[in-house]
Amino acid sequence: MSKNAPVSAFHRLRRRYGNTMIVALALIIMAILVNMTPLKEQTWLRVLFGVSALNFTLRATVPLVLGALSGILCERSGIINIGIEGMMLAGAFAGFVAKTSTNHWSLAASLIFSVAAAVAVGGLMGAVHALFSIRFRMDQIISGTVIIILALGTTSYLYNRDAIAEGKFSSIPIPGLAQIPVLGPVLFDNPPITYLALIMVAVVHLGLFYTRWGLRTRAVGEHPRAADTVGINVNRYRYINTSLGGMLAGLAGAFLVLEAVGQFQEGMTAGRGFISLAAMIFGNWNPIGALGAATLFGYTQALQNELLLAGVTQVPRQFISMLPYVVTIVAVSGLVGRVRPPAAEGKVYETEGSA
Amino acid sequence: MKTSRLMKLLILLTAVAMLLAACPAPMPASDSGSGAADTGDSMAGDFKVGLVTDVGRVNDRSFNQSAWEGVVAAAEALGLAEDDIKYIETQDAKDYADNMQQFIDADYNVIVSVGFALGDATTTAAKENPDVFFIGVDQFQGEAMPNVAGLIFNEDHSGYLAGVLAGSLSKTGTIAAVLGTDLVPPVVAFNEGYIAGAKSVNADINVISTYHPGEISQAFVDPEWGAATAKQALDQGADVIFGAGGITGNGALQEVATADGAGEAVFCIGVDTDQWNTVPAAQPCLISSAMKLITPGVVELVTMASEGEFPGGNYFGDADLAPFHDFDDMVPQELKDLLEETKAGLIDGSIDTGYGN
Repeated sequence: MSKNAPVSAFHRLRRRYGNTMIVALALIIMAILVNMTPLKEQTWLRVLFGVSALNFTLRATVPLVLGALSGILCERSGIINIGIEGMMLAGAFAGFVAKTSTNHWSLAASLIFSVAAAVAVGGLMGAVHALFSIRFRMDQIISGTVIIILALGTTSYLYNRDAIAEGKFSSIPIPGLAQIPVLGPVLFDNPPITYLALIMVAVVHLGLFYTRWGLRTRAVGEHPRAADTVGINVNRYRYINTSLGGMLAGLAGAFLVLEAVGQFQEGMTAGRGFISLAAMIFGNWNPIGALGAATLFGYTQALQNELLLAGVTQVPRQFISMLPYVVTIVAVSGLVGRVRPPAAEGKVYETEGSA
Repeated sequence: MKTSRLMKLLILLTAVAMLLAACPAPMPASDSGSGAADTGDSMAGDFKVGLVTDVGRVNDRSFNQSAWEGVVAAAEALGLAEDDIKYIETQDAKDYADNMQQFIDADYNVIVSVGFALGDATTTAAKENPDVFFIGVDQFQGEAMPNVAGLIFNEDHSGYLAGVLAGSLSKTGTIAAVLGTDLVPPVVAFNEGYIAGAKSVNADINVISTYHPGEISQAFVDPEWGAATAKQALDQGADVIFGAGGITGNGALQEVATADGAGEAVFCIGVDTDQWNTVPAAQPCLISSAMKLITPGVVELVTMASEGEFPGGNYFGDADLAPFHDFDDMVPQELKDLLEETKAGLIDGSIDTGYGN
């Protein structure tokens, strides 16, 4: 017994602080990498925690966290959503089309309209996914894949390269808060969708864990039979949540087109939907956890860039390029078996006797 | 009843989408889009020019487009029918050879393959088809073959000019480059030239350059990374940013264009073509572009091929800076003179960019 005590203590620590430990490990690896390399006038602290690195992190995090929230909403109600990538892309395209056709409006009106269009189309894609999965009882992985292919094919086909979106969201500094050193320019001097994404994390968290809707959603995802027994319309909740999830993915698409780049590009989501899925799992289907995971992924990308800027490092570029993937593999493999997906995920629900 | 009809519709929709995603682009007709071969024209059918793009569209406002414009201009000069020039847009890197083969099978005389990445496929096809002329844009020829001309540029020269411009304009003493991948030698040449040019006017200048960390198929089509990296460079105090890397670089230019002080305190420099025309969204900051004159190079080579005087091996096109457009007044005359001198020095070899040494 006593021989096992340290091991179980380690496991207990790991169970409680799993994410933190892995983040810490990642930081140590990075610190080692940085310390190995001669820096010119920059200190390693500046590379690790410089404003430019943190800004990049937030920027890379926003689409990931929105995608992860989209996944959480769907999967907490029992629908696997592998199609986040497609919903994101469809949203991005819709936002772009809306923006190009309203270029003559005032910038703010046109941008807000475009965000609404992106969110609506994302929601529509979510609804299609729900329809496939619930009404037609399609395998949800297949349905999600169909959503991705549908979005990729349709947007590439319809995309007109000569269309130009004029203008994109610019930063809105929050008076007072933006003046705080380091934190100010990173957190409080951002364009609107970035703020919205951070607010959505809190909204989804509060919604899921502190409202009747959230409780019912979780019940539907964990034990639909029980939920049905107490009078909850299981499939209606699934429809609503999958559509809401699609809307969040659409917002991520809007971020890419209307805030980050200002233009559409075929396949511009570039795998962000899938990284979102990883962030969702890594975050244990919890909005705050997903934010942490997305931030970690964003941070590794920022660091990778930061190390490459100015040839700060002597470590071969290829090794630095591995960083985000190594961290992802370490993070996800270190956690598999510990996270727990909603119990009824991926299972079609039919009321008794109806089949 | 109702359900099954809806289901059929959805299945149909899905199938169509899959087809759209999967099918390779057919050969579209050049400009007007249709019609039978115009056999009335004297040259029609005798001399056909095909172009295979790198992954991306022919109207990408960059390489593919410039090369295609060269083909169109050459066809006009030679009096070719519209149906005698065609392009295939490559959807996936593994289709390069197949797309070229389509032209070979259709008895095309000249095949233009656009981009460094098509180099291997071009050489292979050229060995198998010694009677077809190949023009490889941006493809360095290690060993010369009589039927392959690699249209290449001294990217380090135009990069050097961009560096002189950036180094002279910078007030902060930090300039940046946001680049496609260093797996592609021309991109490295641009960067090395840029650094050397900047150091030639300001030995203490801090040049922060970042290559896209991804693989070759991703490095030029990731505008989000380009934009975020440009922002990162601005945050580190860079006030002139050179965006060199297709759509990735365009993302960087657009980011700088929306930054505080764009066109007054911070500037961007485009690449390959005059990006004033190709990326209008970058105009607020775009002071110039480090150009490869692809269009005239393609015209020259196609014309030579039609005259039977095809130069095998490497063929150097011109490299230059694009006009300053609206920023013309902001560039002092001494700097303009310096750029002219530098250009002359690069051409006669008195200035060495240090690339490739």
